[in-house]
Amino acid sequence: MLIQMTVRVSHLGAWPLLFFLGCMGIFLSDAVKAAESESFSNPAVTARLISAEDGIAPDAASVSLGLALEYGEGWKGYWRTPGEVGLAPAIDWTGSTNLKSAELLWPAPERFEAFGIENFGYSGRVVLPIRARLEDAGHPLELRARVSLLTCSTVCVPHDFELSLALPQGIGIDTNSARQIATYADRVPAVPENSDIRISVTALDARDSALIVLATSDTPFGEVDVFPEFGPLVTFGKPDIRLDRDRTELWAQIPINAWTEEHAEPSVTITDTARAITAPITLTSDPPAPPFSSANPRTSLLKVVAVAAIAFLGGLILNVMPCVLPVLSIKLTSVLKVTGQTRQMTRNGFLFSALGVLTFVWALAAALVFLQWIGVSVGWGIQFQNPVFVTLMFMVIAVFAANLFGAFEITLPAALQDRLGASNARAEYISDFGTGLLAAILATPCSAPFLGTAITFALAGTQLDVMVIFTALGLGLALPYLVIAARPELVTRLPRPGRWMLLVRILLGGLLLATAAWLLFVLVGVAGGRAAAFISALTAVFIVAASIPQANQWVRRAVLSACVFLAIFGAGLTSTPDRTTAGVDATSHWQDFEPLGIARRVSEGETVFVDVTADWCLTCKANKSLVLDRDPVRARLRGGFVIAIQADWTRPDDNIARFLERYDRYGIPFNIVFGPGSPSGIALPEILTPQAVLDALDTASVRSVASE
Amino acid sequence: MDCKKRSTLLTIGAIIAGYAALRTVPSLLPEKLELQALDRPEGFRKFVAGETSGGFDPFVGLGTADSTEVAAQKAAALTRVSENICSALYGGLSPTPTQVPMASFSDYYCPFCRVQTKRLADMTSEMPDKIAVAWHELPLLGDSSNLAAKAALAAKRQGAYVAFHERLMTTPFQASPEYLARLSDDIGVDSKKLITDMESAEITRELEDSAALARVFAFVGTPALVIGRTVVQGQISDRMVREIIELEREEGWRDVCTAA
Repeated sequence: MLIQMTVRVSHLGAWPLLFFLGCMGIFLSDAVKAAESESFSNPAVTARLISAEDGIAPDAASVSLGLALEYGEGWKGYWRTPGEVGLAPAIDWTGSTNLKSAELLWPAPERFEAFGIENFGYSGRVVLPIRARLEDAGHPLELRARVSLLTCSTVCVPHDFELSLALPQGIGIDTNSARQIATYADRVPAVPENSDIRISVTALDARDSALIVLATSDTPFGEVDVFPEFGPLVTFGKPDIRLDRDRTELWAQIPINAWTEEHAEPSVTITDTARAITAPITLTSDPPAPPFSSANPRTSLLKVVAVAAIAFLGGLILNVMPCVLPVLSIKLTSVLKVTGQTRQMTRNGFLFSALGVLTFVWALAAALVFLQWIGVSVGWGIQFQNPVFVTLMFMVIAVFAANLFGAFEITLPAALQDRLGASNARAEYISDFGTGLLAAILATPCSAPFLGTAITFALAGTQLDVMVIFTALGLGLALPYLVIAARPELVTRLPRPGRWMLLVRILLGGLLLATAAWLLFVLVGVAGGRAAAFISALTAVFIVAASIPQANQWVRRAVLSACVFLAIFGAGLTSTPDRTTAGVDATSHWQDFEPLGIARRVSEGETVFVDVTADWCLTCKANKSLVLDRDPVRARLRGGFVIAIQADWTRPDDNIARFLERYDRYGIPFNIVFGPGSPSGIALPEILTPQAVLDALDTASVRSVASE
Repeated sequence: MDCKKRSTLLTIGAIIAGYAALRTVPSLLPEKLELQALDRPEGFRKFVAGETSGGFDPFVGLGTADSTEVAAQKAAALTRVSENICSALYGGLSPTPTQVPMASFSDYYCPFCRVQTKRLADMTSEMPDKIAVAWHELPLLGDSSNLAAKAALAAKRQGAYVAFHERLMTTPFQASPEYLARLSDDIGVDSKKLITDMESAEITRELEDSAALARVFAFVGTPALVIGRTVVQGQISDRMVREIIELEREEGWRDVCTAA
């Protein structure tokens, strides 16, 4: 009550307060002087030395002081560990009398980021509490504090000034100062014994060159941040902080920018909305996996809309990607084949195709939401890491190709046709729907540039974000079908059937055959050569069986089912698990992926180029043949100055998935350059250009600037 | 039908244009080139950037309890520099008639200094016929700052000043010989020469001159920049730097140098 009144009164200045206290006859003794030093003031900072006590009480062996700082608008000061640059405030007490020791306490800092440099410190008002011990208890204290501190706004200005404060013998309390000191002393991170936050694990993740911190709390975390301190020679980047569902468990990964084995005694500070802890830590080398999704997936509506637009555009572009184009062709041939369809039928047909696209996309979104929910890290295109999936795709495409080349006509079984009733249209719709579905499935490995962004965003967002973005993606992909559905007349604009159709058919068949060949290539990567040979043999049998016209219905069916059945099981069983020998030849300049090595090499001043690729990733192949395997990039990578590392994600690999996740990517291609000039890496766009690669290498290595 | 198509196209176009405008216009709007003549040194003028620079005491740096000997050296440097400001400022440069000389002052511990060094280096390689940069170090933040400055100047002697700063962009500077040797290898300079140069009298003198210049121009902190005869304190956009360069080229900066 009293405090509250004094707070209000204190706005009027110190005198009314002192007058008020004097009248009340509380606390006040003979010392009526406010216990604070003169103030040092300029536009960047105003500094005063304040004391909770007006005088030194008899037998008092210590006194609570504070360095009250008020930074000007836009100015910042630094914490005891300033971050990558900056300088912590320091006080030299030389010249003080009766002072045995003075310990500066540091309230929980804020994180500032400017020009990609992480800094920790304060802005606005802060009091650094000082615990001073006296030489002679109960004797007067004379303080001379030489303060040096750095403030930065658009310019960094150092300050070096002296503050003095004399505390005579006496027993008064300066309520205002005492309250300020107490407020900020409360914000000083607690020791482990006094905190309900427990730091359970701190592990050096050598593979990822990061520090992993695990902590638990009895009460839920709010706005949480993590600050490791390893002395001036070790610096960290921006942490990736994740909380579990009820926000009581924390996992943080803090990238290491500079490292030395001879670091100082390490500690970790965790700051939360109204509490903080600093604990000394023991490092282990067994990093726990990231268990939760990102702590702050706050996304604005505008951003969702923007990303949805990107996804839509991405979907549209996918239509002309080599993996989808053939399917669009299948659809168009089917239209060319059937002339004289009613407008309504054409419209419905294309609508069903669009629905097929959307269905797959929705199914994928649902699956992702589910996986996200159970905490699995997922990536785009990873279905191509599954040999069974690839096998099925290969068979479907090969059979379609054979069909286009006229090996046989695909007709639905009579029974099914009967069941579907007299309406032949309905059977048509099912095949239309299948076409759409196939287009969408095939689109997944062609992670077009727009797509990467959208999917990254969706995977980091909420379930609703995932749904919205995938729907936009599906709509984009289905747009050609929707356009024809909206204006079936467009179909009539297509040329009349004739001999040229044979040509188109062969052309489209060729495209499909190429797709099948590519899938087979993927299969070799995923399942091994033997499995691929086995499956192609089965597919051949399937096609032959389907194309012999006189064959018995039942025998044919038995053979066909057996082929599919064997292929699927064969893919699962015969796939060779070991792949280390495949692909990488001994003389190649590409080295194996090993995240730990990257950090070590960068700290040794070397430049590292990492290419995450996979057999099923067409864009990766394009990058490789158009940029990476061509001069001048190839010359640069082989030149000995750059270490080229290839991470092969053809098969599932936790290391690679985590590596991608660390850079907020969920799909490939992913290329990144590390070097002395960019220890945290320069991520390159999905579609590479020689210039982009060379520029990034220059920036990362710094070397080229030296030669200028 | 065509009408509809056109209106759809127009709508999409409008949305794209609106978004583009939203992204670019704010960065184009403000920032006026406002210059203020300085009383001292005569002939120079100051770029007025908001409210950041006024109200400070020109400072002497942290942790400097000067001995009389040091004080005398500083006084000597001040006299030396004041006699010919331009040669101290742009020493070592011999700008062609079309070039504007620039003097950049930076400190290892100042975040924006690193960015400015890089930007100026980029600008130089972009328009070598228009500008030439003289690199100064203004170590104001204690011992490490001082050592890093000496290393930077030693690197400058081997033509690797910018490389040195970029190399230190996000990693801490260490004064150990092993570290300096590795750093030298990275930026392609001779490490023995670098270490010898760091302790040389020339570099001490260079630092004294830069500090004296800072006093002459009443810099309150880093980064600081002098373009021709225009003094800039603190962070400044590329655009403004370019405008000032153009202005200096038009108006000529040589008068002030022959006068001083």
